[in-house]
Amino acid sequence: MSQKTAEKKFMPDVPRKEIEELKNSITAASQKIIADNIDRMKKADPHRPEAMKYFDEMANLFGPRQKEIAAEKEKGKKVIGYMCLFAPTELILAADAIPVRVNSGWYDTSKLGDRVVPVEVCPVIRSTIGAKMIELSPFLEQSDALISVLTCDGMTKLAEILGDYKTIWGMNIPRIKDTTQSLRFWSDEIKHMKTQIENFTGNKITRKKLKQAIETSHKATKAFRRLQDLRKGSPVIMGRDAMLVNQTYLWDDKKRWTEKTEALCDELEKRLQQQDWVCPPDTPRVMVTGTPMFWPDNWKLPTLVEEASPQGIIVADELCSGERILNDPIGVDEWSMDDMLNSISERYLMASTCPCFTSKDGNEDRVNWLLNKVKEANIQGVIYYVVRGCMLYAMEYTRVKKALDKINVPVYYLDTEYTREDVGQMKTRVEAFLEMLTARVDF
Amino acid sequence: MITVGMDLGTQRVQVVIVKDGEVVARATVFSGFDPTKAAEQAVDEALKQANLKLSDINHFSSTGSAVDMAPYANSKVSMMGADAKAAVYLVPKARTIIDVGAEEARAVKCDEKGVMMDFVVNERCAAGAGAFIEAMARALEVKTEDMGPLALKAERASPINASCVIFGESDVVSLIHRQESKPEIARAVYDAMADRVSSMIHRLGINPEVVLVGGVAKDPGFVASLNRKLGLSVTIPEFPEYIGALGAALVAATRAKETSK
Repeated sequence: MSQKTAEKKFMPDVPRKEIEELKNSITAASQKIIADNIDRMKKADPHRPEAMKYFDEMANLFGPRQKEIAAEKEKGKKVIGYMCLFAPTELILAADAIPVRVNSGWYDTSKLGDRVVPVEVCPVIRSTIGAKMIELSPFLEQSDALISVLTCDGMTKLAEILGDYKTIWGMNIPRIKDTTQSLRFWSDEIKHMKTQIENFTGNKITRKKLKQAIETSHKATKAFRRLQDLRKGSPVIMGRDAMLVNQTYLWDDKKRWTEKTEALCDELEKRLQQQDWVCPPDTPRVMVTGTPMFWPDNWKLPTLVEEASPQGIIVADELCSGERILNDPIGVDEWSMDDMLNSISERYLMASTCPCFTSKDGNEDRVNWLLNKVKEANIQGVIYYVVRGCMLYAMEYTRVKKALDKINVPVYYLDTEYTREDVGQMKTRVEAFLEMLTARVDF
Repeated sequence: MITVGMDLGTQRVQVVIVKDGEVVARATVFSGFDPTKAAEQAVDEALKQANLKLSDINHFSSTGSAVDMAPYANSKVSMMGADAKAAVYLVPKARTIIDVGAEEARAVKCDEKGVMMDFVVNERCAAGAGAFIEAMARALEVKTEDMGPLALKAERASPINASCVIFGESDVVSLIHRQESKPEIARAVYDAMADRVSSMIHRLGINPEVVLVGGVAKDPGFVASLNRKLGLSVTIPEFPEYIGALGAALVAATRAKETSK
């Protein structure tokens, strides 16, 4: 069921030998990059929390988690992958299946994606296509089915392309979210997804199971928010470390992740009491927003900011690969099946600040979220990060800039690609921006 | 107080020495393969001009794309920060600075003290920068320095696409095939560049007074096109190509004062 044998509609037939060669060489390169990223993160904080060790291991996409999932699959569990955060992971958990997010952060595979779609297409999409072509991504390979939410143009067509290999369930997200008819429509999508997951896994999603899954999410959200709250004051954790913790949630076991994150927060609270800062408290505080940044290759911006001279620290982000993952709890009043499903629908639709939305006031929710965060986390500057081809984020920039200009918070539009070659240029820009943030006080 | 500013650019290294707020020497050396060595040479030359020794210098500051390869540097400053500092020193009313160099065009907004408040850079494309003129001059078989005067002779404009150097070049070739005159093609090149640069500036918002600096500020063809496009007359200071080095030297003076406190 997981591997389709029918004729491929998009993908070229790549010889087995070439697939193996590319897979081996890119896997080896990727493991080096993972190790290098973690090394640099260790160097950035001489008193790096003990609890980070767990997340460093979890960060190895080819490591223990892959084996763990393989063992679960042996026992008959299904893996359900997804590309957008709108996929209702609680339904997956309630059906005793494993949710994993499968977007690719590998630079090298974006070039392989060029064999299928033009270079103008967003590199997150091209790279995911390339990763599938050479079977690079353990979690994508392990997925028995994929939930594709039709948010941007890239995601919509990516689902069709991956349909050459996998069972795809599309979810139609309404683009105008704050109307009753949209919520009703989306609620039906959620209910339909429940049926699909039940039929596919052969496991009925009972009231009790769904309640447990929602409670698992609640606990994770609590730990997640605790971590983000700890970033709001003087810095006790490097931005990169927190960002990695946030992102590992996408493939880790949810309960274990929650325990480990709580343990990390315990350590950070001690640090806070001892005023043991990871960098001087007057280090410019930066928020990142825009295109999602996926581990492991696409870690260049956080690395640049925190290794720059003058140095900056990322204390918040508005990314669907970051703080958006678990920011909002599912608000349940009564634990009836209907109420739980409605609450899930509301949480996934209304709380999202994805730029795929518009409304009477445009995507006002995102602007307000950013402005609130600026105040809460005492942000001094915002980096608006966009990869070329990422239209929705690129087009919302002007509005975000106007809103930030009003409250006198500088924002810099940084556009880049899935490549390592532009790190020098990016460094110049990032350092100029950080210099500007310090200069507003300094010279 | 004697300070040195070094601008390690993609094509040239420029050095400026400032003594008690006055420029006392300027020197340029081609960057070549070893920007560090080129900068050493340029510093050497500037010191000779001003009759100074290395040990007379209170503070060295560097800027430019190869900023981290600078010799002697006590500190560094971003190219945008240097632009703002130097432009306000030369033109006190300057609030928007447009800097067009060989590989990069950028615009900086600043306050009355020359502190940068916002900036924008043409990312990942040389079509709005000096290298574009060089490529187009090759296609027209004229010297780069003759392009500007040639463009001023044009009687009308013929649009080309400057989304990219490569596409721009093929557009120029089609103009050649249509047997457009050289002056008109040269003007088309500058108009296309000015288009790119001005839309970049409009995204930032223009605060008068606008100062144009960088190597391309010396090209009359580009200046004419940009003024037409922006509907204003940009101010061009003396020695616009030394703006980065001057800015670094001025920042160096501020930093030297801070450290001696």
